[in-house]
Amino acid sequence: MNEKDLYLMAYLKDNLSAFDNGPVLLDVKSTQFVRVNLLLLKAFSSMPGRPGMFIAVDRPHHYMLHLMGMHQIDPQGLIFIDAISRFAADTKNSHSPANLLNAPSNIDSLPSAIRDWAGNSPHPAPMDLQRCRFAMIDNISSLLLYNSFNNVEVFLQDFIDVLTSHARVQIPLLVDKERNCMLYEAARSLCPHEISVNDGILASMSLTSKRNGIARIVDSNEV
Amino acid sequence: MSTPDTCVRARAEIVRLTSGINGLDDSIEGGFPFPSVILVAGSAGTGKTTFAMKYLCEGAKKGEQCLYITTLSEPTQWMMRYAMQFDFMDPSYFDDQIVYMDLGDKLRTMKPNEILNVIDEKIAEVMPTRIVIDPLTVIGNMMGGDYRQFLFDLTNRLKNWNAVTVVTGEVQPNELYPTEIAYAVDGIILLLLSDEVVTRRKYVEVLKMRGTNHATGRQPIDISRREGIIVLKARF
Repeated sequence: MNEKDLYLMAYLKDNLSAFDNGPVLLDVKSTQFVRVNLLLLKAFSSMPGRPGMFIAVDRPHHYMLHLMGMHQIDPQGLIFIDAISRFAADTKNSHSPANLLNAPSNIDSLPSAIRDWAGNSPHPAPMDLQRCRFAMIDNISSLLLYNSFNNVEVFLQDFIDVLTSHARVQIPLLVDKERNCMLYEAARSLCPHEISVNDGILASMSLTSKRNGIARIVDSNEV
Repeated sequence: MSTPDTCVRARAEIVRLTSGINGLDDSIEGGFPFPSVILVAGSAGTGKTTFAMKYLCEGAKKGEQCLYITTLSEPTQWMMRYAMQFDFMDPSYFDDQIVYMDLGDKLRTMKPNEILNVIDEKIAEVMPTRIVIDPLTVIGNMMGGDYRQFLFDLTNRLKNWNAVTVVTGEVQPNELYPTEIAYAVDGIILLLLSDEVVTRRKYVEVLKMRGTNHATGRQPIDISRREGIIVLKARF
């Protein structure tokens, strides 16, 4: 991660800490999903005692773990729900605390499965939802490749309900407003807060890092 | 949940990155599928490196992070000396947006797995949206028997990273593309030299572009100082 990334991470962390728990909508360009997911994971991992959940749809969880390792992001306390590995025949076994789904389709049934896992059923990675402090999906747009829009909409609503009824949990939802405005509007109706990570913000990170070395974060009002 | 009337797209559409090559994006539904690995193949002098440079500068112009991996051990200034002849090249891109990585020395001393790890670490550090490996075929000459396995592992890792990677491949004049890499990539673009009456003409052909309804057939190109490669409109 370069200086610009560290600025962006601080920007995300500052904004997230200003909000109560619950879903937060992040308007992010599709090409920046991995970067922002890694920065969010790094931000969350730097807050001790923040176990979380990561739903892998776009790439196998073990590759995400590999990337986290590259960025010195501590995976301790993170539980993966991997929706793609079995489907992609990439792996049949999990490499870390992970529950493998057979496929990313029928995603609307996942919230009730999470509810079951959170009970006493024996699963590879038992989840203590009470302790869960953040939940991320990599990424919602990819779910549309395997599910109808309505199913994704139902999933989002139920996912947020299940998690927020069990725990004080932050749920950053990354959507590219420009590319998928319908999904963006659906997510926005569920999120009381929104953070923009658009081109203007990214450009300001670049300018700030060039100007100041490592000094201050551009206030979002300045952008 | 209600949505505004202007919002009508519910289906997931392929994200595309513009190539920066004037006239090419029209032939590939607006750009390269994101993420993907694209092979740009051609014999000497067909414009592979110019193609790659224009592609990276297109990203840098938009503020994207880019990674240029050379396998030739060329110092940055040597590459810049030629690249600066093009109007689209802004040296300030190399301060921030385009990171230059020399893989040449490592190819001589490292094992395939170590090379993959070095590339991986650089990608993790830069977090690029656009990557170029130029030219990839040099690795094959140095690696010998492990090359196919290396290519398979490399393309797998590149596909998991969110970027469009352009790899260039040098071919003999009578070859179309390096077959050992073709099966693993998502797109193949040929840069061709054709012997015609008293001259040689350059052409581009999109041979393969997954998820894309692309134009077929050869299209004439020109390489200019101002824009680099330009796909010429058909003249009748």
